[in-house]
Amino acid sequence: MTAPTIAFTDERLSNGLRVIIAEDHLAPVAAVCIWYDVGSKHEVDGKTGFAHLFEHVMFQGSRHVAKTEHMSLVQAAGGTMNGTTWLDRTNYFETMPSHQLELALWLEADRMATLLDALNQANLDNQREVVKNEKRSSYDNRPYGQWFHKLQAHVFPAPHPYNHPTIGSMEDLDAASIEDVASFFRTYYAPNNAVLAIAGDVDPTQARVWVERYFGSIPANSAIPPLGDMSLPPTLGGEVREIVEDQVPLARHYFGFRAPRFGDSRSDAMELAAQILAGGKGSRLYRRLVREDRVAQDVAFFSLGLIGGASIVAGQATVRPGVALDVVEKAFEDELERLGREPVTDDELARARALIETYELEALQRVDERADRLAMYATLVDDPDLINRQLDRYLAVTAADIQAVAAEFLVPDNRVVLTYIPAAQSQGEETAA
Amino acid sequence: MTLEDILAVRPSPGVPRAYQFPPFEREVLPSGMQVLTVNVPGRPLISANLIVRQGASDEPALFGGVTVLAARALTEGTERYPGLELIEASERLGATLHAEASWDAFAVSVEVAAPRLRAALELLAELVLHPTFPEEDVARLRDERLNDLLQARAEPRRRVEQAFAASIYTADSAYARPAAGDEESVPRLGREELTQIHRALLNPERTALVVGGDLSGLDLAAMAAEVFGALGSAPRGRSDGDVVGAPVAHSGLDRTIVRLYHRPGSVQSEVRIGHMGLTRSVPDFHAVQVMASILGGLFNSRLQMNLREEKGYTYGIGAGFEMRRSAGPFAVRTAVHTAVTVPAIAESLAELRRIRDSRVTEAELLAARDYLVGVFPLRFETPGAVVAALGGLFVHSLPDDELARYRPMVEAVTAEDVQRAALEHVDPDRVAIVVVGDADAIANDLDAAAFGELEIVREDVLGDQPEGQAEDVE
Repeated sequence: MTAPTIAFTDERLSNGLRVIIAEDHLAPVAAVCIWYDVGSKHEVDGKTGFAHLFEHVMFQGSRHVAKTEHMSLVQAAGGTMNGTTWLDRTNYFETMPSHQLELALWLEADRMATLLDALNQANLDNQREVVKNEKRSSYDNRPYGQWFHKLQAHVFPAPHPYNHPTIGSMEDLDAASIEDVASFFRTYYAPNNAVLAIAGDVDPTQARVWVERYFGSIPANSAIPPLGDMSLPPTLGGEVREIVEDQVPLARHYFGFRAPRFGDSRSDAMELAAQILAGGKGSRLYRRLVREDRVAQDVAFFSLGLIGGASIVAGQATVRPGVALDVVEKAFEDELERLGREPVTDDELARARALIETYELEALQRVDERADRLAMYATLVDDPDLINRQLDRYLAVTAADIQAVAAEFLVPDNRVVLTYIPAAQSQGEETAA
Repeated sequence: MTLEDILAVRPSPGVPRAYQFPPFEREVLPSGMQVLTVNVPGRPLISANLIVRQGASDEPALFGGVTVLAARALTEGTERYPGLELIEASERLGATLHAEASWDAFAVSVEVAAPRLRAALELLAELVLHPTFPEEDVARLRDERLNDLLQARAEPRRRVEQAFAASIYTADSAYARPAAGDEESVPRLGREELTQIHRALLNPERTALVVGGDLSGLDLAAMAAEVFGALGSAPRGRSDGDVVGAPVAHSGLDRTIVRLYHRPGSVQSEVRIGHMGLTRSVPDFHAVQVMASILGGLFNSRLQMNLREEKGYTYGIGAGFEMRRSAGPFAVRTAVHTAVTVPAIAESLAELRRIRDSRVTEAELLAARDYLVGVFPLRFETPGAVVAALGGLFVHSLPDDELARYRPMVEAVTAEDVQRAALEHVDPDRVAIVVVGDADAIANDLDAAAFGELEIVREDVLGDQPEGQAEDVE
């Protein structure tokens, strides 16, 4: 099956806002997605977690929209919305019944133009508490909760901008001030630092008129500070190991590797490698560690695409009770190294390609995913047409490509091994509290 | 016009495009198996789901978890495809076969490109009709479930859910236990038990194949008759009129109780407040949906506005009814900073009272109705979502026009209907309040608040390691 081509227009308003529109009338749904080229990598010491806290403030109102009215208006219109923050970027999106497209554009424009009019200490303090509770529920109060923060710190040693967690620290969240919010907004939330993607049941001519009307005269910021040099050696140059005691019943190994940056053709091969290693029950790690050797409760292996110098690929294996930690670690590492030693079979490659094709087609059925991908490819690699070529890139990956990327990156000298062990295990018996 | 002039005017909506839930067709094969098809032009990825109206609530308590384990073990090999050969064959088609069981149903689903649908359905049929349940693979999956129970006990969110279920139902209600079985029942499950439940599941009169996507040029009824013909001739499962579908939920609450599960050092309290709720067949279903949206379903629900946007107690709080074939739970769900556990519970209870004591405002009513009506087409953008909804119709024996009439029924809900639904279905004076948190920090305050009789459960959060597992590993 060939994937349908997604036709789109790609232009810039005079203030620098990049506007991408992809028309598709299958369902009466229109998606708006705006990516700002700012993420937690832009944060400096003492201000970690700020990009994400700011994202929350974006829902606290602007000149013509009251606190939380953004959500009320979108939901009353029959739409859904949210925002997310990650190392490289911050995005905001609305999925609307198509006759409500204009509302979503107006809401995004009002906060891009006038957010600071509604900013006040009470709202900032309220969202600071909400975010601190998000940090508690997503990380601090969860078994194994800090695994990614620990991996990213090892894969990107300080002072690299990817070193610290996007959620930040409690101390830094406490320190965030109104002045910080205002300055962050003025610096980064400018039209020339954003990509607006619209996908679905829209009339592109009408959509363009609305975009020009609401966004066209928002002033650009000509002085967005360039990010510092994020380049890194391609690999770690040595193994890093850490043992963490936690309130967990089963030990678990996490593995992290520095990897080619998002958009690098070797990252396509890494994606296929991840599929062959741990993509479902037919995969190598599942077959060996879970099914045959029966030493692991579960396995995973996946890549997280980043553009600043390098990406990270990560894996995990939960150790079955009674099994020695090193047995699981060794089996896991052995499968990764085997991928670099010998080519995958034709059948494995064919299966991985077929599955990735289905996953891509499945994802691109929805207009919100189309808008998100268009904005993502434009923001991260200045190439929105990747939405039409990425699948072909995956399908072009050869066994030799997979072997090469594994041999270069999935090796001991580029490896972080983070092992969670039950706290009780090291302390003898847990004290009955 | 200046930017200010432009932004000062809120846009008004355009004309909504006509929408109807995609019409579907129903064929009944000679065996009694139903085939529901929905043609969605322009969607080349086909979604297919074989669903049996029999789930974990229909199994004997002694073998709790057997239906879920059977679903997991289905992919461990079949008569024609031993081991992982069937998985590999489906992967060659770019298809992932997914088998799962819930309280209400047993289902195997696949997403696949139209030209490969026939081949994928043949694999799906092989999986459903001829699994071999190899003894050693069943043993492995059984051990995995026992290990998962250890993990569930240490994860506060999963711990509180199970404790809540066990608190609102009588101990002999199926819903009081985990659908995938517990530490007592799971060790009893082996090849023989799985084979028996599988035989019971093979009942064409309780089975439907639901297929959605661009079906032009495909005769699904004929294809299904060929591929699933053997289902009619297989050894017959239990017939209707037996225990399948019998009520399995009985309220265990006659007053408010408070259960605090001690998790030393917790920086948050996981909180659940509620009681036995409703079946999917409740007559005022649409009024309940509107009421639950206002109370705890919308982003700006009353609970969210109070506990998140005003007080900052939580990252999120919701409330709702999980409607099953028997009465599923009604629950307020949240995680709050340890220090505000008691006020958060008090505010939640106050919201449960408020939704009963006075009518919702016209603005609240409109916001909820407009959301539910407006978002309906968004929910069914892809064939997979349409197929899932049709599967729900079949499982709950709902009328064919249930989805088509959803929007007018929601539109017709009044503020009186909402209040009546709250008065009938929300009872803040007989709730279980279940907390997983640091008892050393909150037990005294919780006791002083006197929400109800307090029971503190201090247990080893890491649990005991199940015996004999180390020996199982070769």
